[in-house]
Parts: sequence; structure tokens; C-alpha cells
Amino acid sequence: MNTDINLLLHTDEESSEEKKRIKLFNLIAIASLMAVGLISLGIFILAQIINSPSVKKDQENTLRLTSQFQGRQTKLFVLNNRVENISKILEARRDLPKVASNLLEKVPSDLFIEDFEVNDKSVIIVGYSKSLFAIGEFINNLTDMVRKEEVIRSLILNSLALDLGRNVYQVSLTSGF
Amino acid sequence: MNEKINTDLKSLKFILNKNRLYVFPIAAILISAILFFQFVIPQFKALLIAEKEVKATSLRIEAQKANLDVLTNINEGSLDSQLEILNSALPSSKDFIGILNSVYSAAQKTGVNLGSFSFKVGDLSESISGNDFPVVKLSMPIVNSGIAGVNSFVETISKTFPISEVELIKIGNVSSVVNLSFYYKPLNISDYNQDIRISPISQKELMLINQLEEFGDTSSFSEPSTPVATSSAAQ
Repeated sequence: MNTDINLLLHTDEESSEEKKRIKLFNLIAIASLMAVGLISLGIFILAQIINSPSVKKDQENTLRLTSQFQGRQTKLFVLNNRVENISKILEARRDLPKVASNLLEKVPSDLFIEDFEVNDKSVIIVGYSKSLFAIGEFINNLTDMVRKEEVIRSLILNSLALDLGRNVYQVSLTSGF
Repeated sequence: MNEKINTDLKSLKFILNKNRLYVFPIAAILISAILFFQFVIPQFKALLIAEKEVKATSLRIEAQKANLDVLTNINEGSLDSQLEILNSALPSSKDFIGILNSVYSAAQKTGVNLGSFSFKVGDLSESISGNDFPVVKLSMPIVNSGIAGVNSFVETISKTFPISEVELIKIGNVSSVVNLSFYYKPLNISDYNQDIRISPISQKELMLINQLEEFGDTSSFSEPSTPVATSSAAQ
């Protein structure tokens, strides 16, 4: 049997513990009030620093100066816009006149072009000559262009016929890009 | 009943009396918490928003100052002449006079005979969407001008204003046809923003302007006295 059990209250010990607890509570209360106050004050000061009137003044000054050059700014905007769009067009447009020139350069002098049609997909050439050599030379020239992938990428000989009425050879060719 | 209330009040008073020293700190902590959530947090959020706004304003000011530098150093005279060239090259609307000048000028330079032609204007009320390049189509018959003449004509017209694209070249023995598309591009005002940083005219842009300058001037060209063009709202 344990004889050390004390059924009486330790009043002094308990009250000192309670005092400590109350002290701690008071401390927390004061600290929390002060913390809220300090944080609030800090935020207020920061807001004052951030919303400094010098920024607004600076903006107003710059706007005033810029407005004097409003006309130039608009012109420069239009200029940049036009340049951008023109560049896009020039890059995208197919240069059919150049295609036609390159192909016509390859026509031998004794071959005559009857029909010549170029669009964005193909070229149709119909010509005639008294000489088969001229037609052969023309076909060879075009075949070289296809081989070198210069302007055209394919060549189809549609027909090669003898026109007895005119006593000429007629050739019809189709090329693709 | 009253007795019960009295007993409760008594016990409440007893509890309060016993814990009266805790009342102030607990109340203070609660008030602090309420102040923190009701005022400090919204204040902090407002501060963050204000900071963002100030940053944005600073960036705007910086851009405007940079713009100001660019604008003050620009020669307005040369800007006007460059703009004139570019507007002739790519008009903001259907420039029929410019197109006719271009056609007649190319025909005169290359000595080809133009047949009757018509504009394929289309729906005049149709709105033009964003990135498209609208065109005015023109089918141009050329008579008795030979392969070299027609070829020279298309080469010349592709280097005149307004900028055009040759869609079809059809050369025959007697008559030939050239289909042309003349570009225009309306200016999108919504793209204009005063706060966007503008850049000075770059070397690349200058090269393009110089290239366009070489395209030649057709503005002084006068069209023939006898009308050869008819317009119709086709397509």
C-alpha cells in the first residue's frame, strides 16, 4: 500500500501554474494585437510608397510629351503595318512572270509557240516547228529543268503530231510545279 | 423554471468569476483574429493589386519614353514619303484609280494593246476578316501583242503599284489573257495601342521600301481618253 498519496490540493503550485497560464495568455493577446497593428501599419506604409505621386506625375509628363508626337506615332504604326503586310504578300505570291520568262528562254528560235498557259499549278505549252530537232531540243531543255528542279518539277508530253496541212510538227506539253 | 434559470445564471457567474482573468486575453486574441481576417488580409490583397498596377504603369511609362525617343529622332519628311510609297503599294481600300494607272502604265511601257476588261469587284459590303489579303481581280485581254509583249507586260505590271499577283498568263496567236489580282488591306485600328513599344524603321524595312521605290511611279500616268474599261460586280 502506498502511503505517499496526498489527497490535499497543492494550492500554491496550482495557482502559480494558473498565473503562468494567464501571463502567457496576456502575452499572446498583446502580441497578437500588436502584430495586427504592426502588419496593418506596414501595409499602409508600403501602399504609400507604392502609390507614390511621382509615378503618376512621371506618367502624366510622358503622356503629355507623347501626345505632341501622336501624328508621327500613328504614321509609324501605319508604316510598320504596311511593311509587315507587303512582306507577307511578296513572300507568298508566286512569280508567274518569272516562270514564263524562264520557260520561254528555253524555246529554240525555230520553234513557234501557239499557245502558252501558266497558272499557279501548271504550264501548258503548244508549239510547232518544221524541224523535229527544234522540238527535241525544247523537250531536252525542259527535261533538264525538271532534273535540276528549276521552275518546273514534272513534264508530260501530251502529243507530238505531224500537221500535214501546214507541213509542221506540232508538240503539246504540260508541266507541273 | 425561474429557479432553474437562476441556478444557471449563478453557475455562469461562478464560471465567469473563476475565469475572469482569461476574458481579456481571449477577447483580445479574438479581436486580433477578426481584424486580421477582416482588414489586414483584404488590405494586403489590395496592396498586391496596387503593386501590379504600379508595375504595369511603370512598364507603360518605360515604353512611352522609349517611343518618345524613337519619335523625336524620326525625320517626318522621309516618314511621309515612305508612307506614301507603302500606301500606294498596298492601299487600305480598293484603289481602282491606282489599278487603272498601273495597267495603262504597264501597257504603255511595253507597247501592248489592251482589249476591253472588267473588274471582278464582288460584294462591296462584305467585311474583311483578320489575316486575309483581299484582292480586286481583273481579267485583262491583250490583242495582237505577241509572246514577248505579253511577257514583258506581266513582268512590268508585277513591279508596279498597287502590288498585284499574276494568276494566269494565257498567250495565244491572236489574243492573250492575263488574270491579275490587286491586293489591298484595310487598316485594323484595333491593333493600334499607344502603350505598345514602337520600333524605329529597321534595316530590313528600309530595304523593302527601297525595293518598292524601284518599282517605279505610275501616279503621274494619265489614262487614255477613250474608255476601255468597264466595271461589273461579278462573282
